[in-house]
Amino acid sequence: MENSVTQNGIATVLSNQSTDSSSVRPEIVVQVVDLKPVGNRYTFNANDGKMKIKAMLPATFRSDIISGKIQNLGLIRLLDYTANDIPGKSEEKYLLVTKCEAVAPPLDAEIKAEIKASTGIMLKSKQEFVAKSASQIINEQRANAAPAARMAITRRVHPLVSLNPYQGSWTIKVRVTNKAVMRTYKNARGEGCVFNVELTDEEGTQIQATMFNAAARKFYDTFQMGKVYYISRGSLKLANKQFKTVQNDYEMTLNENSEVEEARSEEMFIPETKFNFVPIDELGAYVNQKELIDVIGVVQSVSPTMSIRRKNDNEMIPKRDITLADETKKTVVVSLWNDLATGLGQELLDMADNYPIIAIKSLKVGDFQGVSLSTVSRSNVVINPDSPEAAKLKSWYDSEGKETSMSTIGSGISSSANNGSRSMYSDRVCLSHFTSNPSLGEEKPVFFSTRAYISFIKPDQTMWYRACKTCNKKVTEAMDSGYWCEGCQKKDEECSLRYIMAVKASDSTGEAWCFAFNDEAEKIIGCTADELNKLKSSEEGEANEFQTKLKEATWSSHLFRVSVSKQEYNSEKRQRITVKGVSPIDFAAETRLLLQDISKNKTSQ
Amino acid sequence: MDTSSPSAFVNGALLRRYIGQKVRTVVQVIGSDMGSVVGKSTDDLQIFVKGSPPASTTTYLEVIGIAESENSIRAETWTNFGISFDALNYNELCKLANGEFKHLFI
Repeated sequence: MENSVTQNGIATVLSNQSTDSSSVRPEIVVQVVDLKPVGNRYTFNANDGKMKIKAMLPATFRSDIISGKIQNLGLIRLLDYTANDIPGKSEEKYLLVTKCEAVAPPLDAEIKAEIKASTGIMLKSKQEFVAKSASQIINEQRANAAPAARMAITRRVHPLVSLNPYQGSWTIKVRVTNKAVMRTYKNARGEGCVFNVELTDEEGTQIQATMFNAAARKFYDTFQMGKVYYISRGSLKLANKQFKTVQNDYEMTLNENSEVEEARSEEMFIPETKFNFVPIDELGAYVNQKELIDVIGVVQSVSPTMSIRRKNDNEMIPKRDITLADETKKTVVVSLWNDLATGLGQELLDMADNYPIIAIKSLKVGDFQGVSLSTVSRSNVVINPDSPEAAKLKSWYDSEGKETSMSTIGSGISSSANNGSRSMYSDRVCLSHFTSNPSLGEEKPVFFSTRAYISFIKPDQTMWYRACKTCNKKVTEAMDSGYWCEGCQKKDEECSLRYIMAVKASDSTGEAWCFAFNDEAEKIIGCTADELNKLKSSEEGEANEFQTKLKEATWSSHLFRVSVSKQEYNSEKRQRITVKGVSPIDFAAETRLLLQDISKNKTSQ
Repeated sequence: MDTSSPSAFVNGALLRRYIGQKVRTVVQVIGSDMGSVVGKSTDDLQIFVKGSPPASTTTYLEVIGIAESENSIRAETWTNFGISFDALNYNELCKLANGEFKHLFI
């Protein structure tokens, strides 16, 4: 049977589409006929020798088609699919194939019904469906199907990528891949509550949907993490880039009149949470960045819960630390907060002896203990995920990982962790790394640590600006007296000075100009901009304290955390190195680093 | 720089190579009395340092002097190295200075 189509496969597809049974749908082999590209998708007719049905392959199959795995006249096995109505032609349906595999290379011709194939099999009771047309079957089932199923049949499901604000009615079929908690807010127009969900469709396109007040209350319990829904009558608008968490130009707002129905009876193909894992030893580059990252790791240990007092509102929040390891032989501490600490954390504690694998979506990378991870409200944890990455990690851990000695990603600076040192480990470079790579930071800023001496501070540069005492933004001198802050829309009698200066840094490999802002410059100079300004203005006679202060600051070495980016200046792109952190040298830790380098060099020779 | 009387970096195990010669090492002070200090070398061996130690010693002590035996030094120079010292790093330095990078040291 390998080289032939499933008898009455198409009829089976259509009849199975809306059955309430949760049994596994039969896998059906059909022949691909009239395969042609439409935009970035492909359409074809699925042929079982008896019937043909219009079918569509989404863009994800593009590579399979280009590589010739799926070809015209070839056979494919349908693993996951839905049958949708063609708008305006209720009689006709098309098949949306979301998962299939090639079974046989192209045959010589289209398969026509063979007489012998109908013997025997026709006797089965199920085959009575075959006598009916597809629309008859649909009409019959429409009468007694569940509402959600009815919706599936009567409306065409739109892919998320096709939605825009100028479109009339649509229905989408999406999985809730993230659900935020209900938040209350207060603004000029009064109080209210809001929550949002992240929706993902079968193609992996994501969109954020927000609900306010009545709609929020109405749908808060309806939407459940991981479940699949049909949604219609929402409105779209351009996404606010500032709060954007998913890759979509639009965001959706649902109101009270929107329709949300769970697709209960169908086995869905909509992807589970998509992960983009970062290996633990590469986390250094994400420290203190806005970007959230995903990790997968073997749970090494789980701490008891602790209560932490939040600084801004004094609220006590539960926290639990877990340690994860991966194949890079590094470990990292992940802090779980709130419900994740109490609920899921307890679950993890109970099973910690079995070294479960967990995948976490959306974590913030901080510099506590060198590098550490922290959950945010939209973080999402999956225990023992059913994925190839998890399987690979599990087999690595069982075979060798258990015995391997691992070091924490923040190690090497452990002894200096208490003096404000940042993540100064794996991405340590010399200054020549910047000067010899002019393309560094071309796409986005890149971060490094470097140990260097301050070799020159130009005394006649503009070293500071007048800043608002509240928001640190630049202020202008007001007409009468005092200073006007554009940011606060306020006048203040006083302002403070904040550094913004260029300093030259040198090490054994070269020198580079770096920009330092207030906090970092304060550490380099050793006093505040206001204090330095006083020294400058009191400058009289021989003893020039201002010059002395700058001189003292030069030829001292520091550990710098820097970002390297490209900036356009007079239509010329220039490398710009910005100091993001300054800390004193921990000589013992530096020596250990040097010893490591020596032994690395020895083995590589 | 005076190179007439070099003193080799040693830990406890390397001491025996320099008997009768000038060495320098850092020990963690275990006990001391009038004429000697008992110290633990950076590779965890016991070293007896003879001579006249300073009136008060800190946890770590550098001594420069002549190696008398495989576990004793007659010290000429005593320097307190304070209470925080990375013995592991020093031990690695001793190994490198007596190993393949010996030519870099005098």
